[in-house]
Order: sequence, then structure tokens, then C-alpha cells
Amino acid sequence: MNTIIAQNNAIITEWITPGSRVLDLGCGDGTLLSNLIKHKQVHGIGVEIAEEKIIACLKKGISVYQADIDQGLSNFDDLNFDYVILNATLQVIHKPYKVIEEMLRVGRFAIISISNFGYISNRLRVLCTGRVSDHIRLTGGWHDTPVIRFVSLEEFSSSLETMGIAVMDARFFLPLGRITKHPLFKDLLVKEALFKLRRN
Amino acid sequence: MHVHLVETHILHSDRPFKLESGDTLPCLDIAYETYGNLSPKGDNAILIEHALSGDAHAAFYHAGDKKPGWWDPMIGPGKAFDTNKYFVICTNVLGGCKGTTGPASLNPATGIPYGLAFPPISIRDMVDVQRTLLTQLGIDKLQTIAGGSMGGMQTLQFFCDYSRMAASFICIASALKHSAQQIAFHEVGRRAIMADPRWNEGRYYNDIPPEAGLSVARMIGHITYLSEKLMQEKFGRARKTRHAPNIFRPSFEIEHYLDYQGIAFVRRFDANSYLYITNAIDNFDLITSVSGTGRTRGEGRARGEIEEMRSKKGLVITFTSDWLYPPSQGREIVKFFSALNVRTSYTEIASEHGHDSFLTNTSTQSELIKGFLDSL
Repeated sequence: MNTIIAQNNAIITEWITPGSRVLDLGCGDGTLLSNLIKHKQVHGIGVEIAEEKIIACLKKGISVYQADIDQGLSNFDDLNFDYVILNATLQVIHKPYKVIEEMLRVGRFAIISISNFGYISNRLRVLCTGRVSDHIRLTGGWHDTPVIRFVSLEEFSSSLETMGIAVMDARFFLPLGRITKHPLFKDLLVKEALFKLRRN
Repeated sequence: MHVHLVETHILHSDRPFKLESGDTLPCLDIAYETYGNLSPKGDNAILIEHALSGDAHAAFYHAGDKKPGWWDPMIGPGKAFDTNKYFVICTNVLGGCKGTTGPASLNPATGIPYGLAFPPISIRDMVDVQRTLLTQLGIDKLQTIAGGSMGGMQTLQFFCDYSRMAASFICIASALKHSAQQIAFHEVGRRAIMADPRWNEGRYYNDIPPEAGLSVARMIGHITYLSEKLMQEKFGRARKTRHAPNIFRPSFEIEHYLDYQGIAFVRRFDANSYLYITNAIDNFDLITSVSGTGRTRGEGRARGEIEEMRSKKGLVITFTSDWLYPPSQGREIVKFFSALNVRTSYTEIASEHGHDSFLTNTSTQSELIKGFLDSL
């Protein structure tokens, strides 16, 4: 998981234009934002709910806003940002459609990462064991895991279509650490995906 | 353990001091305390701003006292405002009654206390007085300005008026301006004072002061400083008195608590100061004051100062159970400063102590402030 986050961060850093205004939803301890500030001189703000992560961000000198993303981004004006990032966070969101709409209200582009629930080893694991294992949930048991959204690549893509959102760029993570722009049998073989999106 | 002692100093200035109202004070006393040492370069100063009933005694002990200053858990060696690193200054506000000129001070024109002859004051006047002190102390750079409640208002006003001086601000449990509800609570307090016959149009300094009125004002204040939940947990319906309940005597614990707070307050606070300071708070409106036509007088009011704020840093702290200065008002502050390109962070501390949290919930505040100051 950590290597995927590091790879995500590298791709996001590559995508973002120097000097942009960036909002990072679920920014954690501010690792991605400090990368972006260092390498792309962005003006960045993080949104985070956990107190200890807020403190970690402040220590790094990162501006951070304590809020529950599910409550919306009402304190941020329309198109205040160039990029709004939702990295390794979608799986804990209660109202994904609302959050994605809000991202493209306050920002010109949205960057979203997803974990493909339709990935072949997830399918086999459920088929063979009859259980949604801890491996799929990432953390905790069924009753207390914060990971509540299991979405397949195919479902996510059709949601984007429904919402009138266009994919500008995408990267797909395959087994053995391979990353590609154009995967074969993607619904089966992609573990994680990263999208750069805008309104149609 | 080593006890840190401190004294309140008074700076006297014989230069006439012009107020925002256009009135002039012929001379000025400014009470202040300092903690830690000013660096040789003079670049490690922090200004602390107190709330309505506070004073210059923010930390450490006065000789012989059992209790330290009002924000002692936050100021000292190794604490949030680390006096091993920073030179911390706190002043008593203009209009106050703890050493700085206020309605209880002698009016040089008459030789008796000002009373209602004291001119109306504003939050901007308060920070101008602090600016006068800093100039006298040879300080023209501040690492940060910090304060809660009315102290948060002064913090924001100082940061806007003298943005060239300050690298950052920390505004706690405060607002850009008072809401109708906040003004309403203040007005009830003022009416209680003015309805007390001993108030006597502010002329009581040779007599018994309007203790009944002032203590009622304080009781109302205390209700607004606590959360409903905390009040219930702390007092519930418990009774204190051993006598049979009597409607003419307090019997519930909460009644005794408020009674005690009221009486303790009249011993240390001047009723006219309460009227003048609450009036200054109610009239505070940061957005109007920094963008209005009134921004022509004196240094720091030029439009260019707004540019000075760009890329500076702010930290806004609110408390979940604070219904007097609710988190929504903190978010308004963030919105205002973000629009001016101040890199403003916002936190909402989970606390059950209501508005008082900024004085009582010092552990989380300390962590946040330490992190913020470390990155400056």
C-alpha cells in the first residue's frame, strides 16, 4: 500500500503545473503537499479531520483546514483552486458523488485515486474464502473499518460518465508494480487507478 | 520546583493619544508584563492579547500570590509560547482597570476619575496603545500575535493595521464581528450595571461601586462561557445549603457558583471599564475597519498594508462546544484572510468546556501552537 501511495504521489507531482493552487482532501500528515510545495512551488492547503495529523501538517509549515470532507467544501469559493486532490481517501467517503461535485466546483481539475474492487485477486479471494477479508478492507473488521466504499473500475468509470466528468489522463497500476496508461483487461488486472478529471 | 516571578510594569506617556473617535487622551499609562528575553536582533517577540476580564498578568507569579497569570499553562519555559525561545509581552487593554488608563483613572483636567468623561474606545485604539508600548520597548517585529475571545479581535486588528510588523497571527475562539446574540448578552450585562442605583451615572469612585449590577453582568457572562453539558455535569440539580430551600437565598450549586463568580469579579473589576470594553467589542467589525473609508488616519491604514499580509501565516482555533463564539465564526475568519492570501490554517478542538476552553483546554492548543510556531 505504501509503495502505491508513493507512486501516486510521484504521478500527481508530475501532473501538476508549477505554481498552481492545490487543495488536498484527506491530506494526512501533509507528505504529498510538502512534495508539491518543494518541487512544484504550489500554493497548497490540506483538509484533514484528525487532530494529530493537523499538528503534523502545522509542523511542516503546511496550511491545513480541519473539516469533515463529507460535510462539503462550503468554506471554499468556486474555482478557487487549479487542482483538488482526493488521494487514497475515496474509500472512506460517505457521499462520494457530492464530494466529487464539490471538488469540481472549487477546482478546475480533480485528481482521484481508486482501488479496483474488481481486481482479479479480490474476486478470487471472495470466491475461495467466502469472506471480505481484512486484506480487501485494508484496516479493521467489517463493523469498524473506516473503509466503506468498494468500487470497481468499471463502476467508477460509468459514474464519471453519469456525472458529466471527462477523464483527461489516467494511470493504472498492474501486478508486479507495473504502471500503464492503456491496460488490457483492465477491470480484471488493474489494482489501483489514478485519474485526472475535469467537467465536460 | 522553581517559581517564576514577574511584576507588572507601567509605561507612562505624556504625549496626547488620539483615539479613533477623534477624542484625545492627554496622557496614557500602559500596564504590561514580559516573559523571557528579547534576542539581540529583537526578532523573537510575541504579543499576547487578553480577553474582556483579563489583564497584563498572563503568566508566572506575582510575589506572594498563590495563583499564576491567566494563561500560565501556555506561557513559560518549554510551553506553547516558549520563553526560552521567545520574548512574550502582554499589556492591559486601554479602558481596562489593571494599570492601563481607563474610566477609573484620574482625569488630569479635573483631578478626579474620568467616569463617563472617558471617551469611547475601540479595539483599534487598544492595539494602537500596544503599538506605542512596542515602539518604546524598541520592538518592530513580532513572530506572532495571539489571543482568545476579545484577545482574538485585537490579534486580528493588530495583524491588519500593522501587518508589516507581524509574521503571523493566532486567533482563538473569536469573530470578525459580533452577532446579534453576542451583542444582546453584552447589553443585558450593561443594563444590569446601569440599573444599579450605585452606578450613579458612573460617579461611584468615592462610594460603594455598583457591585450588584456588575456581579449580575458577570453571572450572565459565566453562563455564556460554559457549555450546557459541562454545566449539567458540574452542577446538575445539586443543592448546597443545609437550610431548607428558600426562594430568597441561593440553594442550587449552580446559583452558588454564579454568586461566587459575581462577587469575586466585583473585587477585581471596574463597572465602567465593563461598559466601555463591552461596547468596544460590540462595535468591532474587522472587515469594515480594514476596508472602510476610515482607513486614512495614521500609519498602517494605507491600502498597501493589505499587500503586506500576502504569504504570511494565520492559525484560527475554535472549540466544538463554544456556542458564544461558535466554530462557524472561526471559519468566517479563515475565509476572510484566505481571500487576502494569508496562509490560514483552521482547527476545531473537540472540547466540552464551551467558550472557556481557550483558558482550560491548554494541552491540545499547546500542541497546535507549538507546531505552528516551529514552522515559522
